Amino acid sequence: MAPPSAAAVDTPNVTDPSLYLEGIPHDRFAQIRATPGLAWHPYEDGGFWAVTRHAEVRHVSRNPELFSSAIGHTNLWDLEADALEARRSLIDTDAPDHTRLRRLVAGAFTPKNIRRWEETVRAITGELLDEFVAQGGGDWVDMVAAPLPIQVILTMLGVPTDDADYLVELSNYLVEGTGDAQSIPPDAFGNTTELRLLPFNSPASHALFEYGEGMRQQRQNDLRDDLVSHLVQAESDVERMSRNEYRNMFHLLVFAGNETTRTAISHGGMALAAFPDEWGRVLADPGLIDSSAEEILRWATPVMHMRRTATTDTELAGTPIAEGDKVVMWYASANRDEAVFEDPFRFDVSRANGDHFAFGGGGPHLCLGAFLARLEVTVLLEEMAKRSICLEQTSEPVRARSNFVHGVLSVGMQPAGGTN
Amino acid sequence: MAGEEMVRVAVDQELCIGAGVCELLEPEVFELDNDIVISSVTGDELLPRARADVVVDRCPSRAIAIVEEEL
Ligand code: HEM
Repeated sequence: MAPPSAAAVDTPNVTDPSLYLEGIPHDRFAQIRATPGLAWHPYEDGGFWAVTRHAEVRHVSRNPELFSSAIGHTNLWDLEADALEARRSLIDTDAPDHTRLRRLVAGAFTPKNIRRWEETVRAITGELLDEFVAQGGGDWVDMVAAPLPIQVILTMLGVPTDDADYLVELSNYLVEGTGDAQSIPPDAFGNTTELRLLPFNSPASHALFEYGEGMRQQRQNDLRDDLVSHLVQAESDVERMSRNEYRNMFHLLVFAGNETTRTAISHGGMALAAFPDEWGRVLADPGLIDSSAEEILRWATPVMHMRRTATTDTELAGTPIAEGDKVVMWYASANRDEAVFEDPFRFDVSRANGDHFAFGGGGPHLCLGAFLARLEVTVLLEEMAKRSICLEQTSEPVRARSNFVHGVLSVGMQPAGGTN
Repeated sequence: MAGEEMVRVAVDQELCIGAGVCELLEPEVFELDNDIVISSVTGDELLPRARADVVVDRCPSRAIAIVEEEL
């Protein structure tokens, strides 16, 4: 790892997971953004370059030949070579592997094809909101934010939605794995694999792999018009996808398809409750729905960072970067960059600049589910507006102990004002 | 200003990852093939330079380029 430059030694810590129990340490990020050059941030026995400004995050994201996703790991800590191979998913590849794997799933997620899911999303959303209103509110995460995305992605995959609760439970354990404390023993779910070989070092990954393998075997002889069948067909030709790629793809789709959107909806609900005037503007003018969905995504920034590794000696913001250095794009910081977003700490449903990095910094790993997630958030806002639901927060949020996913474990909400 | 200057765009099909951003921004010009999930230009449609710059800039795999030629 590169030796820290003298200026960088004072970099405020932004990786301690316990900081995030109080929310994103925005003051610390603001301090790093204001410091010229890149900041060197110590981490474990090495460190990384903290990329915190919008323009530089974009540069890293859009130049994968300089900043690789396939070397080391895309999380902060390095993996040993065998662990990286065992755990490698779409997200940890560079072209040409990335192009090959991405094209296998891209068709299902294009803006055009995602639109076909609108009625399904609307039906699921309507049911959840009606129940939320009928109960007089409750835990917003449990009642709306978690079930909506998991039901949608499971429907697309072709997984029985009866299993949604089980898969949400697994997904919660995976988020724990991004922090520094796991609440389940290594042999949970019958796991016998060394944890370092499992995504998020979590035995819940073993359970999710097993579940995906069960689906694969079922679909093998009974192909249907769903995403798992599509993957199973691809997996039958090893040139297109290996067995290990299948299981990591299944794992990624379930995890990424649910945890992130759930986080966006959790923070979205909290923002609408905290800024009732802003929600009032949307109720008065449904033309603001699209921009408010984008503002919720910026505000929430569910994935707070991704890491790259320099493939060669290069330079950014006047700071030399050595081959092999870790370079971390802090989306949570870029989305509050005052150079790009006017008054970035204001929640503004009519914000004109929608160039946020909730779905990544504009490079090839652009979130596969971006248009699906947008559809879910947009439809949620439309259905809330239709029912004139105004949210009132009834308890403090319990936040995830993670510097990676901006997770909310629970937050009480009740519908105030109108009901249907 | 050459606000109305029209330019031709091309997709590098080796680089395309099928994200569909171009199809969303300029549906008249780009179309994704649903089987191979690769974008191509639908015909010889031209785009005003400013709009072409936006798609070039938004394509996540930098697969779109403006073909500089005498029109
Ligand atoms: C609000 C919701 C979501 C947010 C904020 C989000 C965020 C992100 C981010 C930041 C990345 C980029 C990773 C990088 O830079 O390396 C990403 C990639 C990805 N996301 Fe999402 N995501 C969301 C929803 C979804 C959904 C619904 C799916 C469903 C399938 C999904 C699947 C993926 C996949 C497969 C990748 C890897 C893409 C690649 O490496 O080519 N995401 N997501």
